[in-house]
Amino acid sequence: MAVCVSVIAKENYPLYIKTIPTENELKFHYTVHTCLDVVEEKVSSVSKSVNDLRELYLGLLYPTEDYKVYGYVTNTKVKFVIVVETSNTLLRDNEIRSMFRKLHNAYTDMLCNPFYTPGETIKSRSFDKLVLQMMVSEVQS
Amino acid sequence: DKCVTRLEQLGYRVGQSLVERFTKDSPRFKDELDIMKFVCKDFWTTVYKKQVDNLRTNHQGVYVLQDNRFRLLIQIAAGKQYMEYAPKYLAFPCGLIRGALSNLGMNCIVTAEVTQMPACKFQIIIQKS
Amino acid sequence: MSRQSNRTTDSRKVSQELFTLTYGALVSQLIKDYEGDDDVNKQLDKMGYNIGVRMVEDFLARSSVGRCHDFRETADVIAKQAFKMYLGITPSITNWSPAGDEFSLIVENNPLTDFVELPEKHGNLCYSNVLCGVLRGALEMVQMEVKVWFAQDTLRGDNITEIRLKFIKRLEDALPAGEE
Repeated sequence: MAVCVSVIAKENYPLYIKTIPTENELKFHYTVHTCLDVVEEKVSSVSKSVNDLRELYLGLLYPTEDYKVYGYVTNTKVKFVIVVETSNTLLRDNEIRSMFRKLHNAYTDMLCNPFYTPGETIKSRSFDKLVLQMMVSEVQS
Repeated sequence: DKCVTRLEQLGYRVGQSLVERFTKDSPRFKDELDIMKFVCKDFWTTVYKKQVDNLRTNHQGVYVLQDNRFRLLIQIAAGKQYMEYAPKYLAFPCGLIRGALSNLGMNCIVTAEVTQMPACKFQIIIQKS
Repeated sequence: MSRQSNRTTDSRKVSQELFTLTYGALVSQLIKDYEGDDDVNKQLDKMGYNIGVRMVEDFLARSSVGRCHDFRETADVIAKQAFKMYLGITPSITNWSPAGDEFSLIVENNPLTDFVELPEKHGNLCYSNVLCGVLRGALEMVQMEVKVWFAQDTLRGDNITEIRLKFIKRLEDALPAGEE
């Protein structure tokens, strides 16, 4: 499904990034980094409008030729970014939402591990496992 | 006091985690006051089984939360004999608030004040960065 | 009895997340304060012991169980009433020794270990060792000296979590040490 999954700290440095074809890693780092401005913009502009549901899911941040970049922000200002291939037409908004939900739940459990210090790079085995699942299922689609 | 510091730190770490869980399904907060209301209602109710009785602010980053029957003091509230223990009982809750707020992006200093147990006031001073 | 019925069980209960996270913060603080896992295990056991010697009164008052006639009955009370009351779980009792002086509690869904991933460098840590201390302390107050330890723990990669209890001796009605 996803080709890149990333978690960004509230201070805007990466806590976690996983990409599928590893030779593209740097490119994805760049993609994730550039989309943070879009996240900031969405968060601040949306909160000014009146009929705003203030959802955690921010939707499509921007499409590039090959990829679609989606964003999500928690109440604790941690950002999740998921990148999927534009050619993957099977993934609709609902699927993306549910991926973010799972990611958020896994992040929350990970943060609750007493051996984790908030702000540290994420090294949790179970978090890794969930992210890999999100990426592996791409093979089947 | 080393013991009080430790308890405050434990509370801080627990507050960070708890608030992450409690805000998982709520919409994004509007502003600082929205967050404080959440702490006084949802957060307090889950942790202490009741809401904060009174919330006051000077609108310049100082908030005072008053709980007239603070759960952790009820057991030691009979008479004045345990008054000296109150700071130890309140260190953890102070840390809990500080941890919760800091994870929501508000760095602050939290202190507690007791005049008549089991009532208790928490003063929160937001640190502007 | 009337005192018991007046208590609303709900208000006594602490949010499980609060409980689990607080215990976790305590363990990680101990790890910072002490040199090795063995020392942390000892501290957890000691804390548990201090909790156990006090908790037994509360347990007896609320459960209204009488004196146990043998160790098997004790095992039953521990698993079906004490664990249920304080942790909301009922471990199964297995692996009795032929002499009937040793048994195991198989703990599933240990609430203390929700969210916990043990780092590899803490391979010797008995994360939930407080439970051993609690059992030891509580049983000592009802004149039983026991040895309690974690035989297996899923946190450390075992398939199950197993707490082993061994009866040592019956204590005379002497005042316990450390009581104020």
